[in-house]
Amino acid sequence: MKLSSVDVYIDWPVVIKIKNLRDFIISNLEKKGDVIRWSIVDIQDSIDCCGTKKLKIKVVLAY
Amino acid sequence: MLMEISPTIFIVPTGIGCEIGGFAGDALPTAKLLASASGCLITHPNVMNGGTLSEKDKNIFYVEGYNLDRFAKGEIALKRVKQQKIGIIFDLAIDNEILVRHLQVADACVSTLGIDVHSYVVTKKPLNIVIDSDSSKMSSGIIKNPDALIHAGRCLIEKGVTAIAIVAKFLDDPDAPETNIYREGKGVDPISGAEAVISHLISKFLKVPCAHAPALGPIELNKNLDPRAASEEIGYTFLPSVLIGLSNAPDIVELPNINELISIHPNQIESIVVPNGALGGEGILAGIEKGLNIISVKNQNILKVSNEFFDYPNLFEVDNYLEAAGIILAMRRGITLKSIKRPLQKIQESSCSY
Repeated sequence: MKLSSVDVYIDWPVVIKIKNLRDFIISNLEKKGDVIRWSIVDIQDSIDCCGTKKLKIKVVLAY
Repeated sequence: MLMEISPTIFIVPTGIGCEIGGFAGDALPTAKLLASASGCLITHPNVMNGGTLSEKDKNIFYVEGYNLDRFAKGEIALKRVKQQKIGIIFDLAIDNEILVRHLQVADACVSTLGIDVHSYVVTKKPLNIVIDSDSSKMSSGIIKNPDALIHAGRCLIEKGVTAIAIVAKFLDDPDAPETNIYREGKGVDPISGAEAVISHLISKFLKVPCAHAPALGPIELNKNLDPRAASEEIGYTFLPSVLIGLSNAPDIVELPNINELISIHPNQIESIVVPNGALGGEGILAGIEKGLNIISVKNQNILKVSNEFFDYPNLFEVDNYLEAAGIILAMRRGITLKSIKRPLQKIQESSCSY
């Protein structure tokens, strides 16, 4: 097994409610590897006219 | 006498430079206060571990961060135990003299505190920690040989151990700017991110209570030492607090489970206390999913993930942990918060149609 610590950027569309945000993030991160540790470390508000937010996530992945 | 409890999770994320809890066990008094107010507090080792100093509290459950998030998600429950049988994993990279110091700590915890430290193993390969940090960013890091760690833990479990302490070698660089900034009460703990990864690996793959202590060489006296970092400078190792915490850490019970006696089920949790700006952790998002009360406390740190982005209605922003304790106590006693605040609004006629 190998580990890597990376910053992942995910667009958070307005249709994803806060109560579904964790599942939305996990489903994105699990495409990249086995998730050991993660958290949102920054949010940029409304990067487009649809209200999409940009999440910066610090994640440690195992391969 | 208060009979009801208001089970509460207390999180101070590691490696984000929190003014309270960003150092060596300096959130422990706060944890004791919140445990007193709630009657039942679930918190993680870096809140409780003050190097050589620590304390047990019957109202506090000591749960490693990865398992704490799983608890918040409803995947596990916790079972109180009288005593854990602790095994220790030592990183092969630890110098012999430092290793002997740690073994003497283990012996002392048996002889003086009556803790059941069963045995130890040394990893087959050095863990090789890589730290990725500077004083202005979140602490993070990895280990290059995670399999060596997991194999060592598996060996201890096969010998009957029920909880695992890990001691990993961190590079001694007392002149590193991050180290000195941290010692003087500024910046982030540079090694805490890598420490979290080490304990998360054991929790994820071996599913036992665990906690980590770094092995570091003696460090030169610093007269400008911040009091919050002082507990890390009063001994040769950080292992005592880990062994004290693990000695009666709760067992992890995978859910669903109808056979085990459960002391605290995740459905009992009412509140999560977290620093303002640090709402982006998995445990907090899981709590938001469940509609729990989130008590967001002003506790300066480097993150800005606040409720302005989430607009979560059950969030209470408070100025300090004393106020957080008051809210929890009011909830525990069934006192509505608006009755304590002024002005007090008259009740309104509901607009229901029936």
